[in-house]
Amino acid sequence: MNRPFVCIICPNSCQLKVTYEGENIFDIKGALCDKGKEFVKNEMTNPLRVFVGSVKVNQGDFRLVSVKSTTPIPKKYLKKLGKLTHSIAVDAPVEIGEQITVSGLEQKIKLVATRKVKKRIYAVEKK
Amino acid sequence: MEKEYNHYDVIIIGGGVIGSAIARELSRYQVKVAVLEKEADVGWETSCRNSGVSHAGFNNKPGTLMAHLCVEGNRSQSQLCRELDVPYKKTGKLVVAQRAMEIPELYKLKEQGRQNGVKDLKIIGTSELKEMEPNVQGIAAMHSPNTGITSPYLLTIALAENALQNGVRFFLNNEVTSIKKGHGRFYLATDQKCFSATYVINSAGLYSDRISRLAGGERYRIYPCRGEYFILDKNASQLVNHLVYPVPQAGSGGLGVHITPTVDGNILLGPSNEYIKKKNHPASTAKVMKKLISESRDFLPLISSRDVIRSYAGIRSKQAPSSEGGYRDFVIEESSHVNHLINLIGIESPGLTAAQPIAKRVVAILNKKEKLKDNPAFTPLRKGILRFEEQDSATKKALIEQDPNYGEIICRCEKVTKKEILQAINNPLGAKDLISIKYRSRAMMGRCQGGYCLTRIIELLREKYEMLPQEITLKGRQSYLLTGYRSEGIKQS
Amino acid sequence: MIEKEVIVIGGGAAGLAAALACHERGVEDILIIERNTYLGGILNQCIHDGFGLEKFNSSLTGPEYAQRYIEKVTKKKIQVLLNTMVIELNENKNLLVTNHAGFHHYRGKVIILAMGCRERTRGAIAIPGTQPAGIYTAGVAQELINLRNYMVGEKIVILGSGDIGMIMARRLTLEGAEVLMVAEKLPYSSGLPRNINQCLYDFDIPLLLSHTVINVKGNSRLSEVTLAEIGKRGGIIPKSKRKIPCDTLLLSVGLIPENELSRQAGVILNPMTAGPEVDERGQTNVPGIFACGNVLQVHDIVDNVSLEAEYITEGVIDYLQGQTNRDQEISIILGNGLRYVVPQKIMIIKDTIFSFRVNEPGKKKTLVFKEWNKLIHKTFFPRVNPAEMLQVKLSREELEGVKTLKARLV
Repeated sequence: MNRPFVCIICPNSCQLKVTYEGENIFDIKGALCDKGKEFVKNEMTNPLRVFVGSVKVNQGDFRLVSVKSTTPIPKKYLKKLGKLTHSIAVDAPVEIGEQITVSGLEQKIKLVATRKVKKRIYAVEKK
Repeated sequence: MEKEYNHYDVIIIGGGVIGSAIARELSRYQVKVAVLEKEADVGWETSCRNSGVSHAGFNNKPGTLMAHLCVEGNRSQSQLCRELDVPYKKTGKLVVAQRAMEIPELYKLKEQGRQNGVKDLKIIGTSELKEMEPNVQGIAAMHSPNTGITSPYLLTIALAENALQNGVRFFLNNEVTSIKKGHGRFYLATDQKCFSATYVINSAGLYSDRISRLAGGERYRIYPCRGEYFILDKNASQLVNHLVYPVPQAGSGGLGVHITPTVDGNILLGPSNEYIKKKNHPASTAKVMKKLISESRDFLPLISSRDVIRSYAGIRSKQAPSSEGGYRDFVIEESSHVNHLINLIGIESPGLTAAQPIAKRVVAILNKKEKLKDNPAFTPLRKGILRFEEQDSATKKALIEQDPNYGEIICRCEKVTKKEILQAINNPLGAKDLISIKYRSRAMMGRCQGGYCLTRIIELLREKYEMLPQEITLKGRQSYLLTGYRSEGIKQS
Repeated sequence: MIEKEVIVIGGGAAGLAAALACHERGVEDILIIERNTYLGGILNQCIHDGFGLEKFNSSLTGPEYAQRYIEKVTKKKIQVLLNTMVIELNENKNLLVTNHAGFHHYRGKVIILAMGCRERTRGAIAIPGTQPAGIYTAGVAQELINLRNYMVGEKIVILGSGDIGMIMARRLTLEGAEVLMVAEKLPYSSGLPRNINQCLYDFDIPLLLSHTVINVKGNSRLSEVTLAEIGKRGGIIPKSKRKIPCDTLLLSVGLIPENELSRQAGVILNPMTAGPEVDERGQTNVPGIFACGNVLQVHDIVDNVSLEAEYITEGVIDYLQGQTNRDQEISIILGNGLRYVVPQKIMIIKDTIFSFRVNEPGKKKTLVFKEWNKLIHKTFFPRVNPAEMLQVKLSREELEGVKTLKARLV
């Protein structure tokens, strides 16, 4: 079987042509680096994606802190993880790289904050 | 349980420019007046969605009310706008002929104008036209120097606010559902309250036929006729100085597109003319949009569709279908079926121009019957929201010193400050939809159409009225912008 | 009147990088003017990753990328005015700015325009129909969701397959909304191919190419859009009309550089980029006024924005040092296949990076520079796409002695 893939690892977006049978990959053409070949292998068995989303912050100068998963996670968890982020909140201040653990999926997911959020100086909570 | 009735001497049904003008005129007297308006603000139907032109009056048949009241309104427009702190510019209009066979029509219009009492109409030739409007294509034109432009929504709001200032009560979000007469009074019910009144004034515009029927009056029929417009970017404003209209041509198939510079510096193209079925939420159509550009370019070739920043449509209250010529004079009279019911039917163009004279005429009807007493506390003067952008540097500096909110610009395109937006949010009528704030402050009317300021205005609105996100509406019921918070979040332990 | 050596208008990716680069070259008297209450511009709401692959060798999210620069700007104590809007700029490089503290006049020896861009609106593309609530440009929806914590709707149709549209398709899906489809009026997607994969295919969101929205229905809130296919000659195929019930329409139909101030200052704009016409130093026709970032040309990769901002520093320093000499003025003539080029002219012979966009997608194309019939330079591209900016560097040696330059795609 032949199939085109677009590698998503970097903006080069290599358009790969993959020849495979079941889970056996025979040939991958068009990859500019090895990461692309790794990518295709994962796509066939257990596609992984980096999750990006946001989580509520209490008393921060931003209402939300943007987060991402520390490593790519199974694609099938993305939507549920998105929903789970709705019921988490963290307290300001938040530094980039701070870890936020999310439970509720088959495996515990580690998210990191990707925005620096300072503690707000207003007295009144603006929701 | 007995219903509690709020009793008024006069209840005006419909808070458009006509209803608001009548309210203002009545507030000159010691009369208890209430305006019932079905929408969440005044003027949302026809009054805010027209060209805002103050017509000189040459377009109307001599001897009609339309002609008479238009000329009267045009003559006092400048003073009215001054009193109400509403912008007004006497830009003048050119009715442009492009073919020799159109020129006799120009002379006809001039003569009609003369009969109506319109002053200073002049026929000009190619070279004078070129001098006045270098970008316009035409061989001759009639120049009407007394035609002017104002802001139809600011005028409506100002009339209402002045009436409010002078004691008139406004009940927004109150749609009249029944009108009964008994014991010499009208008993009105809306979807919210009950009222009683000695007089009822039907200025319900598109729904005036329904109101007349509800009250037991004549069975009028309103034929909605849609007019679509394009608004052009301010960068195109230098293309034209006057209103530029084609010579009216019956049966030409064309729209007869008008080019109207607005009082804010945009240009309007339109309106079109199409009888439709629905009386509300008019839609713009692809067919007309194409014609608006192509016909405008016939007169002003430098116009491009790239200049368009927005389209909108308004609906006229016509009394006759196109098969009957589409035209009938204003009806402003006491119903012959029901005493004390005053009907205003078919107030289409030049309704905006004639608003104050129409209102005075209604008051005259009442005066004959009731001998109204002067209200010594009446003030004709109303102050609008100060446009920061229009002030000189010294004033601007002083304003910011007085109130730092003048120093924060929220609408980048139109340079509207936070102070002006807060004033718009805190408006006397209590209107809290985004459109209401837009009309009052000009925010979101620029080329980015709210791209920068919408999110900020939402925050300011929420703050003032303590609204949940899903309670913010664009223009009345169910026009919610947001479904709610994205995430509520609970503390992570 | 406060005089500054360099005033940067805009504290987003371009402005931050430009200010830092000038500082690194020894300019100390720099001022960044930013209208928001925070630096970083649009990066703050771009919470997805993929930024910084070239500049920092990592896949960062927008806020992380911005923070790298914000940290440096703070460390180097570069002066920043937040919550401040420039309301006037003239050709003498005088600025009028306004904020809570009042009205201020500034003058910069050098002005760097870095105001970014705005989104094309529904009004500008004249979609027929009513005017209900529920129609947003993608960037505004992104801000509402990612910064303000609001949800915009439940059943979404997206018009425009640019990166913003596709990113929002994924975002909305992960936030629990149902994205019904992405319609794209061109026969090819206008975003990066990998976004089609990870934003649309991943979530089974159909991508309808050669489709557009021809009508909008809904009295108060959007209730339905009508999609139709566009035929080969650009007209609507009547039989293809489909009514889609939905409550939200997101528009990702183009970005327009925000050049109102540039216009005020008499800066000449290029009709194809909608940004200022510049020379190889990034200088506009007004001496001392430079431009970089999205205000100059709409970029797809923020690393290139930073590089562009850093690249123009040389010209800024030259100008400050009074080196305004020029070898000559060569205008770049565009030939087949190319939509625009930045810079549009060369004044000084030196290594120059040219940015291009092509008119339509293609494979195995060569970008050829010629002086009359003499070949100056050529670069091969296995794949070209209007959505991906091409950059070609011509060396000093190649440009030596050239009198005219024409670029075309073969």
